[in-house]
Amino acid sequence: MLKPEQMSRLLIVASKDQITPVITELYRHNLFHIEDYVEAAAKGYEGFKIGTPLSGATEASGDLVKIRAIQNAFSIYSDDFEVTQRQKQSGLQVQIERELPAIELEVEGLTVKRSKLETKVKEFEQKIAELTPFIGIPGDLDLYRGYSRFIVFAGYVAHEVSISVANEMFFGKGKAGNFIVVVTPIEHRNVVEGALQGAGFQAVTIPDESGIPQERIDFYSGEITLIKKEIEDVNQKMDAIKEKHASFLVACEEVLKGQVERTEAPLRFATTNETFVAEGWVPAASVVTISQALEKATNGKIFVTELAVGEKDVVPVEYNNPSFARPSQLLIDTYSRPKYNELDPTIMISIVFPIFFGLILGDVGYGALLLVLCLGLRKYLKGEGGQQLLAVLRNASISSIIFGVLYSEFLGFALPWPALLPSRHLNIGAHATGHGPNIPGLMMMAIWIGIVHVTLGRILSIVNHAQQDHGAHRIKAVLANVGWVLMIWGTLLLIWSMIPMPLMPDFTGLPPVLMGLNVTGLIGIVAIVVGVIFIARDSGLELVELPSIFSHVLSYTRIVAVGLSSVAIAMVVNFIAIGMLISPQLENITIIGVLFIIIGIVVFLIGHALNMALGILGGGLHSLRLHYVEFFTKFYKGGGRKYNPFGMKRRFTED
Amino acid sequence: MVDVNMTLEMVEASQVGMKALAAAIAVGSTGIAAALAEMAIGSAAVGATAENKDVFGLVLLLTVIPETIVIFGLVVALLLIF
Repeated sequence: MLKPEQMSRLLIVASKDQITPVITELYRHNLFHIEDYVEAAAKGYEGFKIGTPLSGATEASGDLVKIRAIQNAFSIYSDDFEVTQRQKQSGLQVQIERELPAIELEVEGLTVKRSKLETKVKEFEQKIAELTPFIGIPGDLDLYRGYSRFIVFAGYVAHEVSISVANEMFFGKGKAGNFIVVVTPIEHRNVVEGALQGAGFQAVTIPDESGIPQERIDFYSGEITLIKKEIEDVNQKMDAIKEKHASFLVACEEVLKGQVERTEAPLRFATTNETFVAEGWVPAASVVTISQALEKATNGKIFVTELAVGEKDVVPVEYNNPSFARPSQLLIDTYSRPKYNELDPTIMISIVFPIFFGLILGDVGYGALLLVLCLGLRKYLKGEGGQQLLAVLRNASISSIIFGVLYSEFLGFALPWPALLPSRHLNIGAHATGHGPNIPGLMMMAIWIGIVHVTLGRILSIVNHAQQDHGAHRIKAVLANVGWVLMIWGTLLLIWSMIPMPLMPDFTGLPPVLMGLNVTGLIGIVAIVVGVIFIARDSGLELVELPSIFSHVLSYTRIVAVGLSSVAIAMVVNFIAIGMLISPQLENITIIGVLFIIIGIVVFLIGHALNMALGILGGGLHSLRLHYVEFFTKFYKGGGRKYNPFGMKRRFTED
Repeated sequence: MVDVNMTLEMVEASQVGMKALAAAIAVGSTGIAAALAEMAIGSAAVGATAENKDVFGLVLLLTVIPETIVIFGLVVALLLIF
C-alpha cells in the first residue's frame, strides 16, 4: 500500500545464439521492463553496439501494417472488441500467410470502388449546384454560348439594373440573391459591365450543358440516387467481410504485434559480435521466477544477476494497491504517477474521494440513478480507462446514497426521518415551513474536514521528506512541515481563545493571563511563532504562502456550497413541477389541466436530469480538485516513470 | 436620509432586503469574475484538447479552478442570509 511495487534491477548476459529463447521467455512472462540501451555517440567508440532485429521482422511489420489498414477501413478496434473465443496461435500463423493477401485484395478493391463512386457523387452535386441559379430562366442552356457578335453575363446582383444600350435581360429574385442574365452585342460590353458593376455584380460560370436546366438537374439527381445505391451495395459487402473476418483480424493483429515486438527487441539490447546484454527492471518478488525460467529456457547457458539500485536510477513505477483502490489509480495517473521513493496516495484518494462526492451529492435518488447508470454503461464503455472511471463513479454513487440517507434527501424531497448530518433542506416556495438549512453546522463540518485533510497532507509531507532527503536539508524540510502544522493549529487555538464558534472547542471562558490572552491563546501564539521560524529556516520565500492556510482550509467549504446549490436546484424543480404545475390541477381536472400536468412532468424529468449531470460534474470535479490542489500540493510531486513490461496481455489468442 | 414616518417593522423588513441584496451582489459579482477567469482557460483548454485528446481530464479540471471565486461568493451569501 502507500508504496509502489518494489523493483529489482536485472542484468541478463548470454551468447547470441540464445537470444531467441531469452526474448520468447521474457515476452511470455510480461514482467521485464527493458532499459533501452543507448549507444555512446563519441567518435572512435568501440564497445557495445545496438543489436539487429531477428529474421522475419520486416515481413511481420509489413503484415501488421496491412492488417491495421484493413482494420481502419472497417473501423474495427481491438479495444472495444468482445472476446468470444481464443484462437490457437499456431493455426493463425498459417492462416495469416494463406488468407491475408486475399482479404487485403478484396478490401482494397472495394474501398477503391467506394471512393470512386463517392467522387462521382460529389462531381454531380457540384453540377447541380452550378445549374440551380438558371432554373428560373426560360430557355435552353445552349442559348448561353456560341455567339460571335454577342456576349452573355450571368450572376448575382444586389438590386435591379437598367441598361441604356440594346440588350436582353432576365431578372429573378431567389433565396440566394437576385440572379441576372444579360445578353448584349459585343460592342456594348463596357457599358453593360459598368452598369452591372454598379449593382455589385458577382459572375457565375455558365454550366457546360445543353438542355433545360431543370431537366438536367433531375437527370443528375437520378444518377446520384443510383450511385448511392451502389455505394450501399459496396458497404453491405464490406459489412459482410467485416462480419466474417473481424475476429480473425483482431487475433492476427495481436499475433503480429507480438511478433514485431519480439523480433525488434534486440534493438533495445547492447550487443557484441558474440554476446548480448539486456538490462531492465522486474518486480522484486518475481526475480527468482524470471531467473529460473531463463536458465531453463537456455539450458543454463546464461548469466542473470541482480544489480544494486543506485541513488540516481529512475526506477519504473508500478502501483501496489488492494483491489478496491485500483480504479482510483486512474485519478492519480491523471495528475501524475508517483515517483519510486514517494508515498503513493491512491489508497487515500480511493477512500476520501467517494466521501467528498457523497457529501456534495448526498441524495438517495441521484445516487441510485448514477449507480444504475454506471452498471449499465459497463457493457458499452470498454477499455481499461473507461472501466476504471465507471468503478470510481460506482463507489462515489454508493457513497452518495449513504450520505443521502444521512442528509435525508431524495431528489430534493425529505425522507421520513430527520437529517442526521446538519440539514441541507431549504425553504423554497411561498408556503415552505421548517428550520431551513443549518448553514453554520454545515460550514463548520466542511472546515473541520479541511483542517484534518490539510494536516494529513502535511504529515505525509514529513514522511516523504524524511525518506527522500539527506543531511541538513532533510531536517530543515521536515521541520518546515512541522512548522506548517503548528501554524494551522496555533491559529486555530488563537481563534478558539477569542471567538466562540459552533462545533468547535470554546476557550473564551478561561481567565486572561498576559496581554488579554488566555492560556490557549498564548499557546497558539507560541505555536505560530515557532511555525514561522521553522518555515523561514527552510525557505524564506515560503512565508509568502502563509495566507494559504486560510484559503486552503476555507476552500473545503465548497463541499457545502456546491452541495447546497444542487439541493436548491432540485427543490426549485420540484416546486415548479409539482407545487406550481401539477398539484393545483389535480384538485379539479380539466383538459387544459391535463396539459399542465404533462408540462409539469416534463419539467420534472428534464430538471432532474440536468441537475444530476451538474451534480456528477460538480461533485466529481470539485472533490478531485480538493485532492489535486489542496491535498497533493502539500506532499505529492509525482513524475514517476510508468512500469511497462516487455510482453502483452493476450486477449484473443493462446498457445 | 431618514424617513421619520418609518415604523420599526418597515426598518426590519428593509434590513432583510438589504441582506438579500448584499447576498445577490456577492454571488453575482463573483460569478462574473469566475466567468471571466474561466473564459480564457476554457478556450485554451479546447485548443489543447484539439491538439491532444489525452489532456481532456486535466484541462477539465483546470477549467473549474477559478470556480473557487464564485464558491466563496456563495459561501458569503449563505452566511449573510442564514
